[in-house]
Amino acid sequence: MDYAIETRSLSVEFRSRGGTVRALDRLDLRVRPGQVFGFLGPNGAGKTTTMHALLGFIAPTAGEAFLFGEDIRHSIARKRIGYLPEHPDTYRFLTGVELLKTTGHMFNMTGRALRKRIDEVLAHVGLIEPAGRRISTYSRGMMQRICLAQALLNDPDLVILDEPTSGLDPFGRAQIRTIIADLRIRGKTVFFSSHELSEVELVCDTLAILADGHMVTEGPVAEIVKPGENLERFFMRTVTERRSASTASSKGGRP
Amino acid sequence: MIRILSLAWVLWLAMLRKKDLYVLLILLGALLVTLVSINVFGLSGMTRYVADTGFLIAWVFGWILSVLVSARELPLEQARGTIYPLLAKPVTRAEVIVGKWLGAWTVVSAATLAFYALIVAVVLSRHARLDPVALAQAYLLHAASLAVIVSLAMLFSTRLNSDAASTLSFVITGASFLVVPRIPEFLVSLEGFPAYALMLTYHLLPHFDVFDLRQRVVHDFGPMDWAPFWQVILYGSVLTTFFLLLAWMAFRNKRFVRGELSQ
Repeated sequence: MDYAIETRSLSVEFRSRGGTVRALDRLDLRVRPGQVFGFLGPNGAGKTTTMHALLGFIAPTAGEAFLFGEDIRHSIARKRIGYLPEHPDTYRFLTGVELLKTTGHMFNMTGRALRKRIDEVLAHVGLIEPAGRRISTYSRGMMQRICLAQALLNDPDLVILDEPTSGLDPFGRAQIRTIIADLRIRGKTVFFSSHELSEVELVCDTLAILADGHMVTEGPVAEIVKPGENLERFFMRTVTERRSASTASSKGGRP
Repeated sequence: MIRILSLAWVLWLAMLRKKDLYVLLILLGALLVTLVSINVFGLSGMTRYVADTGFLIAWVFGWILSVLVSARELPLEQARGTIYPLLAKPVTRAEVIVGKWLGAWTVVSAATLAFYALIVAVVLSRHARLDPVALAQAYLLHAASLAVIVSLAMLFSTRLNSDAASTLSFVITGASFLVVPRIPEFLVSLEGFPAYALMLTYHLLPHFDVFDLRQRVVHDFGPMDWAPFWQVILYGSVLTTFFLLLAWMAFRNKRFVRGELSQ
């Protein structure tokens, strides 16, 4: 079976003046097609690094990764992917329609089919009216939505969202939730990171928690969060335990 | 191919809407009008002087514009974060390099064409003429030299920030314009290792002087022979391809990371 996302012992190291930082340590991750997968972790856990490695922005130091069975080192692996970065920005001198046309061309979409698809995604993210305006005139929420439209233009089978609700007002967050729910209904895979744990609990069926570049836990939300405990409490407990164990082992003690 | 053309088109729209080009065009126009208005004792040679100065300004503006446009493109994409959604699409890094190069080169070539048109208009307004074939050759060789400059600046911008890439490009291309043609004169007085080192520098740096037909156009020497013309075009194409190849090699494994960590 081809997983939507599969990593095998994926490791990423960064060299800085202070030495080598291992941002990801032998990460094994499998996301099945159709899952809405929450990728959680405290700041610096390696969530964005994982996404960047999957999308080819960073070459892994070791290990391998596949998107729908295609090696991430080949650009073809990104054909069925949509990506919304954290704090998205785009070419502000373009209009919304021009941006989406350019995006379509990157997927070899042209002509009437492209125009039809542009109208669909603009309607989907609620940007029909301002689509002819320059993006420099958009509000932050509109910017987030035009970038989301860009991520959905190729009707991707896997949508990777890095902190999609960050900085949005409650209406914006609700709209993102609706879009994720709609993607789930259409059988698409959604892989997203968020610090808004209540959002994650609402929309995810599976989650993984990452801390210090290691996978701490992974599984269906209903199974890993015990009865009487909410996701936030579970997250805090799990990450704290992992950090205590890590500190103890680095001091030579038993975790 | 559509991806490359689309990337080039985005750069065109950026230049047209940010109005950098218009400022240079207006500046050149203002300089030419000032020169035309100075008609000392009604000397007929003044037209040549105006054309010569106009072409010199067109070369300097073309040089500045080509370095600034191409050296900032990739660093700006990274600084704004727009490189992330771009590379998340099935676009190869080679396509990004070629698309950006094509956009920058066609923009500066079009701007240079506008500069030439302005100069020709001024010359015609003074009832003088320029050989059209020589003028076309001058423009095409000028555009070929811009292709080399754009590819060189793009090469530096794959690993340096915009300021460093611009500075290095200005230093190298400026030295190639001004110093390289004079190297044979220095070589006469040198021997041994310094002579070899200087000879090596002479052959390594691009020879922008071979692209310059300004004097031929201004002094009405007529068009150059087509065989050397195509040889110079070939030389420019080889240099451009070489620099683009180096740019791709530097860019293909570049890690894009937000924050302070680097590879």
